[in-house]
Amino acid sequence: MSKTLTKLRYRYWPDHIFGELLQKPWMETAVPLVVMGLTVLFFSLQIDNFISTGNIADYLRQTSELGFVVLGLSLVLIVGGIDLSVASMFALCNLLVLYCMHVLQWPVAASISVTLIAGALLGAVNGVLIGYFQMRAFLTTMVTLIVFKAIHDMLNFKVAVAISSEFPDSAVWDSLGFGTIWSVPTIAYVFGAVALFSHIFLTRLRGGWNVLAVGGNRRSAYNIGLPVNRIVALSYVASGVFAATSAVFYAARLSSPGADTGKGLEITVLTAAILGGIRLGGGKGSVTKAILGTLIILLITNGLLRLATPAGTARIILATILLLAATLDIRWFKNRHKAIDEMYVSPTLLDLPEQAEDATGPNSVYAPNDRLHHVEAIGLGEVEAPEDVVLDQDDNLYCGSRHGDIIRFFAPDYKKHEVYARIGGQPLGLALDGDGTLYACVGGMGLYRVTTDRKVELVTDETNRSWLSIIDDSRLRLADDLDILPDGRILFSEATVRYEMHEWQTDSLEGRGNGRIILYDPKTKKTKTVLRHLVFPNGIVVGSDNQSILFAESWNCSVKRYWFGGPKSGQVEMVLENLPGYPDNLNIASDGNYWLAIMGMRSPAFDLAMRKPGFRKRMAKQLPLDEWLAPNINTGCIVKFNDQGEILDVLWDLGGVNHPMITSMREHKGYLYIGGISNNRIGRLKLDNVDETFVSSGRYNV
Amino acid sequence: MFDTLRSKLTSFGNSRSNSLSVPVFDGAFKPNNLLEEADIVLERAGLEDLVADAQGQLFAACGTSVLKLASDGTPSEFASFEAVVTALAILPDGGLCVGLGDRVITGVGTTSERSVDQAEGTPFVAVTALYGQANGGLLICDASARHEVGDWSRDLMEHGRSGRLIRLDPASGKTEVLASGLAYAFGAYDDGTGGGPLVSESWDHGVCRVDGPKPTHVIDRIAGYPSRFAPADDGGFWLTICFSRTQLVEFVLKENDYRQEMMRTIDPRYWIAPSFGSGADFREPLQAGGVKQMGYLKPWAPPRSYGLVVRYGADLIPRFSLHSRVGGAHHGINAAAQIGDTLYVLSKGSGRILKLSVSGVRETLAGKGSL
Repeated sequence: MSKTLTKLRYRYWPDHIFGELLQKPWMETAVPLVVMGLTVLFFSLQIDNFISTGNIADYLRQTSELGFVVLGLSLVLIVGGIDLSVASMFALCNLLVLYCMHVLQWPVAASISVTLIAGALLGAVNGVLIGYFQMRAFLTTMVTLIVFKAIHDMLNFKVAVAISSEFPDSAVWDSLGFGTIWSVPTIAYVFGAVALFSHIFLTRLRGGWNVLAVGGNRRSAYNIGLPVNRIVALSYVASGVFAATSAVFYAARLSSPGADTGKGLEITVLTAAILGGIRLGGGKGSVTKAILGTLIILLITNGLLRLATPAGTARIILATILLLAATLDIRWFKNRHKAIDEMYVSPTLLDLPEQAEDATGPNSVYAPNDRLHHVEAIGLGEVEAPEDVVLDQDDNLYCGSRHGDIIRFFAPDYKKHEVYARIGGQPLGLALDGDGTLYACVGGMGLYRVTTDRKVELVTDETNRSWLSIIDDSRLRLADDLDILPDGRILFSEATVRYEMHEWQTDSLEGRGNGRIILYDPKTKKTKTVLRHLVFPNGIVVGSDNQSILFAESWNCSVKRYWFGGPKSGQVEMVLENLPGYPDNLNIASDGNYWLAIMGMRSPAFDLAMRKPGFRKRMAKQLPLDEWLAPNINTGCIVKFNDQGEILDVLWDLGGVNHPMITSMREHKGYLYIGGISNNRIGRLKLDNVDETFVSSGRYNV
Repeated sequence: MFDTLRSKLTSFGNSRSNSLSVPVFDGAFKPNNLLEEADIVLERAGLEDLVADAQGQLFAACGTSVLKLASDGTPSEFASFEAVVTALAILPDGGLCVGLGDRVITGVGTTSERSVDQAEGTPFVAVTALYGQANGGLLICDASARHEVGDWSRDLMEHGRSGRLIRLDPASGKTEVLASGLAYAFGAYDDGTGGGPLVSESWDHGVCRVDGPKPTHVIDRIAGYPSRFAPADDGGFWLTICFSRTQLVEFVLKENDYRQEMMRTIDPRYWIAPSFGSGADFREPLQAGGVKQMGYLKPWAPPRSYGLVVRYGADLIPRFSLHSRVGGAHHGINAAAQIGDTLYVLSKGSGRILKLSVSGVRETLAGKGSL
C-alpha cells in the first residue's frame, strides 16, 4: 500500500521544478516582488478601495512620473555610479519647459526638444566630470546637485512671475498633463514604451550589455576594449534626459514653477531603486526592478497617507522598510546559489527488477572471467578519456580526448599519433560516414563533424524546445552517442537535460527520465526530439533490420529498440532487461549481433538507494560529492548479444586492472578496440573466429 | 518520511553530535604507506589475533587453531579447538588463554585447563579480546550481548552498546564485571601502574579507563574504530585501528529507514559499513571519490577499509602511526605484538602477518630525532 503511494507520489509530484525555477535569472527579483505583494495585501486590508478603477489612473500617472527618474538613476547605478543631482536637473528642466511654453509661447514639440537637450547637457556635465575626468560620482553629483539647484533658484526668482501670468493654449500640452487614452493616462503609454525599450536595450542589445559589463567589472570591460569612459558619460547623459522627460510631464500637469520643486526627490528615487533590488555596486539591475521599486514606494507612501500617518512617522516606516528589504535582498542575492545547490538534485524512485543473488555468479550467462587482463594498450598515458573509438578503411584509429581534441593513431602499430582536429569539448560518441567525414557527439557543445580536410563544422546544437519544460531544453547539454541511419539521417542521444558534461555523475543519483533521443535530417537541416523522458540514454546502434535502433538506458540497466521506419515506426520495445550493470555504448559485431559496453556493475546497496529517493536527497544535501554513494564504475565488462536478447559472450576486467569503466568497444578486422571515459589508454584485443575483413564504420552516407 | 521530518527538525543548530564530519588524519595520524610496504611473515586465511610471550615467541589464532610461529615465520600448530578462535592472550606465568566466541579457555595445553562461559550470571556472546594483566588476572572483552563475533556489522548498524569488560581470576575461576554498556569493547590493556585497565570502545571511536563504577573517556574522537592493544617499550602501547571512518557510514547510521531495510534484505558483506578488506567484489558499495580516474585510485579516497596502527605513549598522547592507504592490501589491522625492535602486525583484511622494525620506522618518519 505504502509502496503504491510512494510510486504515485514520485511519479506525479514534480519535485524537480523547484530547483529549476530557482535557477532562472528572473528569480533574482523574487524579494521585491514579494515585498510588493505584501504591501498591497497589507494596505488593502487596512483601507477600503486601496486599489480600485478610480485610483488606477492616478497610480499610473504617479508611477510613470517617478518611474522616468528612477529609470535614469537605475541606468547610472547599473554602470557603477550614482546620480544625486537628478532632483536639481528635474527642477531646472521643469522651469525651462514652463518658460518655453508659457513665456516664449513656443510650440510643444520645440519646447520639449529644447528641454530634453537641456537635460542631456546637464547630464553631460556629470558625465564628462565622472566619465572622462575620473572624478568620484558621489561627490561630483552632490556638487552638481547644489550648483544646479542654485541656478534654478536664481532663475526661478527671475521668471516665476512671468510664467504664472501666462498660460499656453495647446491641446497637446493639456493632454500630456491630464489626458487619457482609453482611461489610461498618456504619460503611462510613453513610460510603457520607454520602459519596454529600456528593457530590450539592457537585456538584448549590445549597448545594454556594455553598460552591465562596465558596471560589473570596470577593469575587465576596459581590457576587452569597451570605451568605458564614453559608456559612463552617456549613462549620466541618459539620466539627465530621463529627468527632463519626467519634468516635462510634471510641468504639463502642475504648471508650477515652485521653489521647492523636486525637493527630496533624489532620496525617494534612490530608495525606489534599492527597494527594487538594484545593487549599489553596479553590474546588476533591470527595468523590472526599477518599476517594482517605484511601485512599492508609491504604494507605501499613498497607503500611509490614506491612513493619516503623520509625515515623520511615514518617513520612519519607509526607512525601516527600506532597511529590511535591502537586507533581505542582499541575503537572497548572496545565498541563492546555495539554495539552488540544495534544491536542484531531485532524486526519484527507480524500482529496478530484483537482481538474482547469482546474477553474476560462475554459472550465470554473465560469469566473470579475466579475458580483458591481456589486452594490448594503445596510447597508454598519452591519451586521456577516449570515450569512443572508430577506425576508418585504412585502419587508422580515431578517438576523443578530454582536452577537446580528436586524436588519430596510425595503423598498423598505433604507436604514432597526432591531433587530427581540435573541437574544444569532450568528444563522446563517434561515427564515420561513407566518405570519411567523422561525426562526433561533443559533450557540452552538440553534434559536430570533422571533414576529410580536417575542418571542424557544427552539424546541430539545438533542437525544438518542449513547452512544459522549465529548463531551456532547446540546447544540447550532453550529446552522447550517435549512429548514421541508412537514409543518411542521424539519430543521437542526449543523456540528460538537467546536468552538464562535468556533473553527469549527479544524474546517476537522480535516476530520473531526463534524457532524450534526437533526430537530425541533413536534407532539411532540421533537428527534432523523437523520444523523451528516457533514463540516461547512452549508446545507439542501427539494428540489423535497418528499420530500428537499439539504445541503452544506463541507470535503467536496459536496452530497448525504437523503430524509426517500417510498419512499427515510432514504437519502443524492450530487448535486454535487468542487466547486471549500467550499459553504455552499443556497436555492431561482425556476425550481425551487437556489442554492448557495461560501464559499471550494480550493487545491492546502490539498488536499494534507488528505491529510497528521500535517502538520496538527504545524502546530496548533507554530504560532499566525494562521499556520495556511486554506481560501481570501477569494474566493467563487454557483452555480446543478439536481436532476441540472448547473451552470447561476456568479457570482463575483474578488479579494473586495465579497463575500469569501459564505455565503448569497436570491432574492426578481427580486433576489438576498447575505450573508457575515465581511462588513459585504448585497449586492443584479438578476437577468435570472427570475420577478419569486417569494417563497421562508413556503411552509410549522410 | 520520519527521517525527512527528523532531519528537518534537527537541522537547526549544528551541534557536534548531529554533524557528520569525521576527524582528519593529521598530526601523529599523518598518512604514510609503511604498513603497505612491510614484509610479509605469514599469509593464511582466517588469521584473527596475535600475541607474544615473555620469551619472544609469537602465537597466532587462525581459524580453529592456534599457531606457533618460528622466527622465520613458519607456522606449526600449537593447539586446535572445535570453534573459531576469536582472541588470544598470554598470562605472566606463560599460560595461553584462548577466546572461542562464547567462552574463554585458560591454561591451554596444561593440566589446569579451565573453560569459563559466563560472568555474573550473563553468558558471554562475543569474546573479541583478552589481555593478561601483570598481577595474573585475565581481562575479557565481551563486545556485545546480542550478536556474536562474526556479526559485528549488525551490532554497529544497530548502535550496539552492550559490551562488557570482565576480569577473570584464572586460579579461582571467579569473574568480575568491571564495566558494562560499552559500545563494542574490542580491546583491553593494563599498563600495570594501578590506574585501571583501558578498554577500547569501537563504535564510539574512543578508549576508556575503568577506574570506578563509571569508566572515564581518556581518548576520544579517534579517526577510526579502535581495536586491540599491544604493549610497547617505555610504558606506551600500540593501538590497532581496524576501520577508518567515512561520512557516508555516519550518514547511514542516522538514516533509520534505509539502514533497517539494508539489514533486512542485503548480505552483510555488501552493506554500507566499514570492512576489514575491500576491493575484491564489485558488489561492494562504492563512493564517488573512490572512482578510478585515468587508471589511478587516489589514496585519500573515502576508505571502505584501511590499515592503521598508532603508537601511544604512557601519557595517552599519540606519537606516530603506520598506515596502509586506500588501494592497498594490508587493511583491517586488529592485532599487533612487539618483540624487541620488531613490530608484528596482523592484517585481517588480507590474511597476513607483517613485520616492521620500530627503529627503522622512527627513522623514516622523523629522521634521527626521537619520536
